[in-house]
Amino acid sequence: MKITSLEQLLKVKEKGLRQTYPGKIKVMVGMATCGISAGADKVYQTLKSKIQELGLDVVLTKTGCIGYCQVEPLVDVVYPGKVRLTYQGMTPEKAGELAEALKAGQILTDYLMCRIDAEEMLIEGTTRPYANPHPPELPAEVPSYQELDYFKKQVKISLRNCGFIDPESIEQYIGRGGYQALFRAVTAMTPEEVIGQVKAAGLRGRGGAGFPTGLKWEFCRKAPGDLKYVICNADEGDPGAFMDRGILEGDPHAVIEGMAIGAYAMGATEGYIYCRAEYPLAIEHLKTAIFQAEAYGLLGESIFGSGFSFRLKIREGAGAFVCGEETALIASIEGRVGEPRPRPPFPAQSGLWGKPTTINNVKTWSHIAPIIARGAQWYASLGCESSKGTTVFSLVGKVNRSGLVEVPLGITLREMIYELGGGIIGDRTFKAVQTGGPSGGCIPAELLDTPVDYDSLGALGSIMGSGGMIVMDDRDCMVNVARYFLDFTQDESCGKCTPCREGTLRLKEMLEAICEGQGQEGDIEKLEKISQLIKKTSLCGLGATAPNPVLTTIKYFRDEYIAHIRDKKCSAKVCKPLITFTVIDDQCIGCQLCRLRCPAEAIEGAKKTVHNILQDKCIKCGTCFDSCKFAAIAVE
Amino acid sequence: MQDVIGEPGNLAVSLNQHPRYVNPEKCTGCGVCVEACPIRYEVQLPPETEAAARTAYASATDEETVTGIIGRYRDERGNLLPILLDINRHFNWLPRPALEHVSQELATPLTEILRVASFYNAFSLVPRGKHIINVCLGTGCFVKGSPRLLDQVERKLGISHGETTEDMLFTLEVVRCIGCCALAPALRVGEATFGRVTPAQVSKIIDSYTQAASS
Repeated sequence: MKITSLEQLLKVKEKGLRQTYPGKIKVMVGMATCGISAGADKVYQTLKSKIQELGLDVVLTKTGCIGYCQVEPLVDVVYPGKVRLTYQGMTPEKAGELAEALKAGQILTDYLMCRIDAEEMLIEGTTRPYANPHPPELPAEVPSYQELDYFKKQVKISLRNCGFIDPESIEQYIGRGGYQALFRAVTAMTPEEVIGQVKAAGLRGRGGAGFPTGLKWEFCRKAPGDLKYVICNADEGDPGAFMDRGILEGDPHAVIEGMAIGAYAMGATEGYIYCRAEYPLAIEHLKTAIFQAEAYGLLGESIFGSGFSFRLKIREGAGAFVCGEETALIASIEGRVGEPRPRPPFPAQSGLWGKPTTINNVKTWSHIAPIIARGAQWYASLGCESSKGTTVFSLVGKVNRSGLVEVPLGITLREMIYELGGGIIGDRTFKAVQTGGPSGGCIPAELLDTPVDYDSLGALGSIMGSGGMIVMDDRDCMVNVARYFLDFTQDESCGKCTPCREGTLRLKEMLEAICEGQGQEGDIEKLEKISQLIKKTSLCGLGATAPNPVLTTIKYFRDEYIAHIRDKKCSAKVCKPLITFTVIDDQCIGCQLCRLRCPAEAIEGAKKTVHNILQDKCIKCGTCFDSCKFAAIAVE
Repeated sequence: MQDVIGEPGNLAVSLNQHPRYVNPEKCTGCGVCVEACPIRYEVQLPPETEAAARTAYASATDEETVTGIIGRYRDERGNLLPILLDINRHFNWLPRPALEHVSQELATPLTEILRVASFYNAFSLVPRGKHIINVCLGTGCFVKGSPRLLDQVERKLGISHGETTEDMLFTLEVVRCIGCCALAPALRVGEATFGRVTPAQVSKIIDSYTQAASS
C-alpha cells in the first residue's frame, strides 16, 4: 500500500503503536553488534525456545542498542498495565529464569538495571507513561531510567528510537512519529523553507568538521543542474567510534527520512548511503528499511503524491579510511580508487558524476526529521552558543561505564567522563581523553573542564571529530598512543600527495625509534617541524590533521617524550624495549602459575621455590604480571 | 598543421597528430592517463585484446558465479566496487580469472581493475583461509590490550597477521575498528564477533573452529 495522505500515515502509525505496545507481555532483546558480541544471540535463542516450550503468550522481538553497551546483553520486558523493566548482563541461564518467572506470572526481580516509567515520543513532543511504575512486587530501590547517572544528562535525538523499536519494522518507526516530518516537508513547505529551518536550527555537520548544514544545502540548492545527489557518509572509519553503527543498526529509518527531506530541499532525486563493509548488520537493516519504505511509497516515485521522487541506494565501502573524505567517497561510489582531489570545485558544485552533491554524516541526517517536526527554535534551545543541539559520543576506553551517549553540546569533558562514564576503571588516575580519532588529539587532566563543542576542542589542538572519546589512564603511554595513530594514518594514507605519504612515514619511524629507546636529543623539535609541514601542505583532511595526535601529546605530555629519549624510561610501562619483568623474591610463593602460563617458557622454578624470569627469553607479554595472584611480579 | 589545400569554404587540412593509443611496452600501469582522459572511464581496448584468451577458472561453476555477479550490477553506474566485493565475498579473495572476466565484460583495462583491487583493504589478491580472523586494533581495543590479544593469536596459529595457515583454515588480519568499542578488546571470526576477549580465551575460540573443521 502506498501512503498518499496524512490519514493513511496515521493509520500505519496506529498499527505501529499496536506492534510496539501489544497489550501483552513483550520481551525485547538488544541485538545490535555490541549486544551480539556480548552473547545476546544465545539469550534470544534461549528465550525463543523457552517461550515455545512453556507455551507463553509473549511477544519476543529484537531491538537496537539503547547505548549502555557495557552491561549487555540487555533484555527489556514490558509488563502490560505496569511498567517496562530492563535486565542487564543476561545469559542463557538468566534468560531461562526470566521465562520461568513469566510463566509463573511474576516479575523477575533479579538482574534488574532500571525501570522505564515513560517513553519519550520525541517527534511529537509527548511522553507515553506506563500505567504503574511501582507495582508492589517490584523492590522500591530499583531506579528509574532517568535517575541513572549514565542516562540522566542525555538528550536523545539521533538515538531517539534505538532500543525502543524493532529496527526491522517501519510500522514501529512510524508509530513513534516517523515520516510525519517528511510529510510536512513535501506537502506543506517549500524547499527554501526547509533549508531555512535547518539554517535557523544552527545544525553543524556531525562528521567532525562542523560546517553549517543549512548553508551546505543552500549551495547545493542554488547550484545549476537538473540532476542532483544526496549522500550519507556512513564510512565510520575513526577507530574507537561506533555512533553511526548504533544509529544504522537501531534506527535506519531516521537516516532515510532525513535524507528524503534533504533531497526535497535541494532538488535531488537520487541518493546513496555509503556504508563501510565492516558493518554487515547495519547494511542488512538498511536494505530492509529501504525495501519497506519503497513498499509504502515513502521512497520512489511521487512521494505522498506530491510529485517529488527520490530513490535511495546503498553502496558498500571496501575498507579504506580515506573514503570518509568527501571527494574520495565520491570517487569510490563512482567505482574508482578512493583518492581525494583538490577542492574547489566543491561537491555542491561538482560532485558525484560531475553533478551537484551534498554529503552529510549519519548523525547529521538523523537530526533532520526532529528539526522539521519540532521546529528550529526547539532545536536551537539545546546545546551552547556556537554549537547547537546534541551529538552522540562513543565513550570507551578505561572508563567504568562505556557505550553510546547523546548529550547537548557544551557539556564538559569532566561531566562526560566522571558523571556519565562513572570515572576510571579501578579508580586509577586519569591521564588523557582522545577525541576525534586519528585527526584529533589527547586532552590532559588539567583541561577536563573544557566544554565539548567544535570551537573549544579545536582551540586545544584536537577536534570534536565524529564523536569517538577514548579515555586513557596512567597505564597508557602517550608516545605509544601517538605511534599507534601514526601507524594508522601512514597505513591509510592513499599515497597521492607527498607530504602525507612521506611525512607520516617519517613521523612513524621517529616515534617507533623513541618507543624502542633509540630516540635522540632534538627528536621532539624535528617531530614538531615535520608535523607543521604536513599540516600546511597536505592535499586533504587526512594529511592535514594526521599530525594532531603527535602535536597534542608533545604539547601536553612533553615530559613523557623526554623520559623516553633521555632516560630510556616508559613511565606507563608499555614500551617493551624499555621495561623488564622480574620476580619479587619476598612475595613469590612458588605457585607455578606464571611458569605454566608463560608463552615463551621464560620462567623457571620448582614448586614452592622462588621463580626466576630468564630475561633473554622473555617476550614481555605481561602474562605473568596478570596471572600472579600475589603481586610478585615487578615491571621496571 | 601540415598543409591546407582548396578554396575558402571548401578547405582540406592535413594535420600531424600524436598517437592516440597506449604503447604497452612503455606503460607502467600508473593509471594517470585514465584520470586525465576527458572521456573518463570509457577506455577503448584494441580489438585483439578482446579476443585474447582468459586464464582458466579452477572450476566451471566459478565462471557461472562471476557471470551472475556481473549480471546483477551490469546496468548500474559505478558498478566495479560492488562486483569486486561480491566476488571477494564468494571466493574469499579475487582470483585472476575473475578479474580478467570482469575486465572483459565491463570493457575496462585489467590495470585499472587491479589498481582498484589493490587499493582497498577488503580485497585480497592471494587466496585466504576458510575463516578470516580479524583482531580489532581500533583505539578502544588498543587501550584495552588488543596488541597482546593479537600476539596471542599469532602464537596460537603460528603465523603473523596478513598470513594464512598452511591448512588454509585461518587467515589472520587486523581491522581498524569493528565498532564494538564498549566491549573491547574484540575479535571477529568470519561474521561472528567476540567481545571482551582475554588472551586466555583465544585458544578456546580458535579450537572450536578447528574442531568443527575436522569433525
